[in-house]
Amino acid sequence: MSDLEAYRAKAAAWLESMVPTYGKAARKGLSEADDLALARKYQKAKFDAGYAGINWPTEFGGQGKGHLEKVTFDTEEMKHGFPSFYFGISLGMPIPVLMQFGEDKAWVKERVLKALQGEEIWCQLFSEPAGGSDLAGLRTKAEPDGNGWKINGQKVWTSWAHYSDYGVIVVRTDPNVPKHKGLTYFWVDMKAPGVTVRPIKLVGGDSHVNEVFFDDVKIGDDHRMSPVGGGFAVAIATLMIERYVATDSAGFGPHLDLFVELAKDTELNGKPAIEDGRIRQQIARNYAMRSGLQSITARAMAMMQAGMTPGPEGSLNKLVAVRSRQKLSELAIDLQGSDGFTYDDHASQKEDWTSSWINAPTGRIAGGSDETLLNTIAEKILGLPQDHRPDKGVPFNQIPA
Amino acid sequence: MSILYDEGQQAIATESRRVLEARVSKEELLPLLETSGRYHEGYWTTAKEQGWTALALPEAYSGLDLGLVELGLIAHQAGRSLSGAPFLTSNFGAAKAIELYGTEDQKAKWLPGLASGETIGAVAFASGANALPARPALTLTGERLDGVMTGVSAGLAADIAVVFANGPGMPVLAVAELADVKRTAIASFDNSRLYADLEFADTPAETLVTGGAAREAALHILALQAVITAHEQAGGAEAMMEIARDYAVTRRAFGQPIGAFQSIKHRIAEIYGLVELARANCIHAASREGQSDFITAAAAARISATEAYDTASRDCVQIHGGIGVTWELGLHLHTRRARSLAIEQGNLLFWEDVLVDRLTGEAA
Ligand SMILES: Cc1cc2nc3c(=O)[nH]c(=O)nc-3n(C[C@H](O)[C@H](O)[C@H](O)COP(=O)(O)OP(=O)(O)OC[C@H]3O[C@@H](n4cnc5c(N)ncnc54)[C@H](O)[C@@H]3O)c2cc1C
Repeated sequence: MSDLEAYRAKAAAWLESMVPTYGKAARKGLSEADDLALARKYQKAKFDAGYAGINWPTEFGGQGKGHLEKVTFDTEEMKHGFPSFYFGISLGMPIPVLMQFGEDKAWVKERVLKALQGEEIWCQLFSEPAGGSDLAGLRTKAEPDGNGWKINGQKVWTSWAHYSDYGVIVVRTDPNVPKHKGLTYFWVDMKAPGVTVRPIKLVGGDSHVNEVFFDDVKIGDDHRMSPVGGGFAVAIATLMIERYVATDSAGFGPHLDLFVELAKDTELNGKPAIEDGRIRQQIARNYAMRSGLQSITARAMAMMQAGMTPGPEGSLNKLVAVRSRQKLSELAIDLQGSDGFTYDDHASQKEDWTSSWINAPTGRIAGGSDETLLNTIAEKILGLPQDHRPDKGVPFNQIPA
Repeated sequence: MSILYDEGQQAIATESRRVLEARVSKEELLPLLETSGRYHEGYWTTAKEQGWTALALPEAYSGLDLGLVELGLIAHQAGRSLSGAPFLTSNFGAAKAIELYGTEDQKAKWLPGLASGETIGAVAFASGANALPARPALTLTGERLDGVMTGVSAGLAADIAVVFANGPGMPVLAVAELADVKRTAIASFDNSRLYADLEFADTPAETLVTGGAAREAALHILALQAVITAHEQAGGAEAMMEIARDYAVTRRAFGQPIGAFQSIKHRIAEIYGLVELARANCIHAASREGQSDFITAAAAARISATEAYDTASRDCVQIHGGIGVTWELGLHLHTRRARSLAIEQGNLLFWEDVLVDRLTGEAA
């Protein structure tokens, strides 16, 4: 057994032992508040067992291991439905950025340790009503105020802001220069006076994203994490931080096996639907898509283990998998016919086709829409020319609204 | 029947659109989603007041003697405004079954009530994926029905249901009174359709047709309903296309309207193609009522309308980005309706089979 295989076996066994307390069944029927409380305990248990911050430097409380161990653990963890998503953004982007760019190392270490133990949560305040895909189109502004800054404006789609203690934020500090050049990156205390968080209810019925309003929010210059006007680069660094996360070729929807089971159990024209050519074709195509993505990921892991850099094809995962999840879920509903009308808004997206279907659109938008991903592939990977960009080089305050 | 709308028909379209736009709002529709067992009462009152329930029924039974084309026009507008409580289609299907296959007594007994909308009808044929199952879930013995039907559209409120059942040795089409039938509301993703499981136990029922003719009759009723539903789907798809288009010309990113990006522009143009194909198929199918190729035309309408509505609602949300997935904006009302209509009156798989059977003369 390779070292990595030994690591996987040990992690798998530990995770298995956590299932009765924190797994799917244990969480069933919990309110969001109770689920979050359970999630904090689970995060602490991970920390105590040495499975939090696996690939982070030990000086900040991490485990100092490699990226492969991290992905290996995550892959095993995904199997059990643990409540880890509350910390997904926090530990995924803001905290790693804080470790990289935060100036006051003692303070940073304290934050990292608290976040790793589930005590504190961070959110990412990038998107705004007028700036989603166009990340540099932000209007929330910070103006000099004594020794620090004063923030005014609005953010939107901020995941978990309602539970967050801190957030990283990109704001406009100079509207007189082209849009990328006038941005600055800060961290903010989400409990500071002038910060208002208002939940947004989404299509599936839950409200984990928020609008966040900043009304004369005062912060010190020590909150700044980029040079003044140099915020865009740090924002991009934030988005690039974890290129290879544990991927899910099911697009975070149900496994293909569940579809096969459904097709076996459903009768179509007096025979099991699994015998129907149309159903078989969809299963085959879906399988081929999923196995391709799995192979991309496996190859990337192998390359990293061999000290090589994986190719950019890893960026296909979300694009390909979520679209196909959306359509397969539609077909699964069709296949149930008049038994397919039912909907349980507490059902898991990974096990219930209707829940998977109704929530699939968020997966095609959050974290970069299909279209922007395709643009990135076309322009950055394939070298195709950029779209015409009328805002290029134009001072931000002169771009027609 | 012509495939060009005449003035009278155009007036029906304009008037029904005006009425529906004035009376149905997203603000009323959203709360309906939150519990099962409610529906848009204002819409149903409107449908009755406007005579839509009587539209395609014979004058002799208090109907207006118009046809599928006119009802289709209204269904298209209902689809645009998402108004539909399920009754218009279900009432129509039940009434048509009685009109086409019932005795004089049965017609006199049921049709006037269905025409005025005082009686609510449902059509209950499907078992899961099978819109017209080889082995129906209900059994008719003498004049009594037994068995369970799942996921009946309008089932929670209907007074009568036309059912497809096992008669003595052969299938039957029958009409049952639902007063004493046990109903369980289904918590659904489209909670205004009054989906219910119906438990028949020694329930009084009257036979309409038996034997091989019963299956043919049931398919015919389904096809009539499917054409109405297809109009509703085409209307919904058209609304999604327009909403997407309007957003694409106003929302800006990277210094320009997002509609300037080909990925957005082409998508809306593709939806246009789907909507127009569906609309054309709907008009054609409605005009073929009573002709030998009606079922074929109905299947084509149903298939293209399902594709149009699913795609248009999927893409319209995508074109909106984050705002598209909010509860408040209500695009999901269309997403939900696209899916519920896709499985009412037979899913895509069913109509694909019907169509290919007709084209090839061979059953799946
Ligand atoms: C569930 C959820 C959670 C989120 N969590 C967070 C979070 O925690 N923090 C945060 O900062 N943000 C978050 N977001 C915001 C997310 O990043 C944005 O919604 C996303 O980037 C799209 O931006 P937008 O909503 O403004 O859409 P827009 O940018 O307005 O896009 C509208 C449409 O135009 C298309 N489009 C835009 N530009 C182009 C182009 N150049 N070429 C072709 N097509 C284009 C888009 O693809 C889309 O179809 C979240 C969003 C969701 C839905």
